[in-house]
Amino acid sequence: MDNFILTALASVLGIASIIGAYVAIHNSKLTVAIIATGIVSLVASVLFLLLAAPDVAMTEASIGSALTTAIFFFTLNKIRQ
Amino acid sequence: MGKKTLIVLLMVAMAAVLYPLYESYQGSEQLTELGQYYADNGVQDTGAANLVTSVVVTYRGLDTLGEVTILFLAASVISFFLSFKKEDRKESREIRNITEILTTASQVLIPMIYMLGVYIFVNGHLTPGGGFQGGAVIASGTLLMFLSNPDFKLSHKVIHYVESTSGVVFVLIGVLGIFMAGGFLDNRILGLGEVNTLFSAGAIPVIYTFLGLKVGTELSNVLGIFVESQNEQ
Amino acid sequence: MGNILDILGGIFLVVGSLSLLIASIGIYRMPDFYNRIQVGTKASTFGLLLIVVGVALISPITWIGKLIALMLFVLFTNPISSHVIARAAYFTKVPFTKETKVDKLHDVISEGHMKKVKNNG
Repeated sequence: MDNFILTALASVLGIASIIGAYVAIHNSKLTVAIIATGIVSLVASVLFLLLAAPDVAMTEASIGSALTTAIFFFTLNKIRQ
Repeated sequence: MGKKTLIVLLMVAMAAVLYPLYESYQGSEQLTELGQYYADNGVQDTGAANLVTSVVVTYRGLDTLGEVTILFLAASVISFFLSFKKEDRKESREIRNITEILTTASQVLIPMIYMLGVYIFVNGHLTPGGGFQGGAVIASGTLLMFLSNPDFKLSHKVIHYVESTSGVVFVLIGVLGIFMAGGFLDNRILGLGEVNTLFSAGAIPVIYTFLGLKVGTELSNVLGIFVESQNEQ
Repeated sequence: MGNILDILGGIFLVVGSLSLLIASIGIYRMPDFYNRIQVGTKASTFGLLLIVVGVALISPITWIGKLIALMLFVLFTNPISSHVIARAAYFTKVPFTKETKVDKLHDVISEGHMKKVKNNG
């Protein structure tokens, strides 16, 4: 039963990250795509936490969804000028 | 139409190729030989309660040195290319006035975030986390500083000195390991202490502190370079 | 004794989850961005606090310190971040609903809201 709940949660998170990746590729607005990439990272970090890898989850959460998103936005702003 | 059908066909073919892998997968109940060794002897060898840390810093310390080098190279390349074109670095940039609420609140939040980062890398040998994670948290605190206080400037001199000093100290501790203990980056140059206390695990907390400082300053520097080339419209 | 704490904590958890549910329904039902972020922030902060209190009641000894820190952090960050997001949305001209009558921020902010900042380099 416990195993089943874990599998179900992991599948939901996996599907969410696939949807995020699809939005990131196919959305015509670049800002939406960047935020979708950040969401994929966030979901991935929760998934790592579920799979008992808190070290990796911390790295993914802080670098993937915070710093990378910020740097993407800075770059986008620079390109638009 | 042809292209989309091709993509769907390709995906179906991929699924057909990969499905037997899923079908025949059996989770292994036992650790591999190497993993078994780490699990059995890691705590006695290194004195670190967090086994991941003992692997990352001690057993595979050389790989960590390689990772740090990669990060350093990436930061250097970014700063080189973004400061290369003089016309990109503007004298000043125009931004919107920042709300008082954010400015006031960040004065409480930024020390808290920095403290969390320091906590993460100082306790790297006891709890999950370590130099890289703590450094990234510190850099996100710096990001909040940039966002909440437009007059804030990173001192490139301080960043430069902190970064190079921590890199050199990291390598020096590794070299000390050759002379005073079993080999490069051996953590037994300091006493192992009692497992699960703050001052334990030999040189691991020292290494992680300098690693955290190095990663934090590098990422902060990258952010600072990006911020300086902005001009909001 | 521990049993009563468990029951109390369970009640807190359920009420907190209900509050989060109300927040998500509100986000779905509200007409424009500003109403949504208002509903989402208030109800979700409240729900999160209730859940943290519930966990603190269930296992008070081991977790209480970290949970108090967590509560303070949520109380600080959640309202501020949504304030900043809503402000950014206002300046990037996210549309209001048609029923909006009052726009006080427009009166406060005149032309001079941009600022020049010098770089060091």
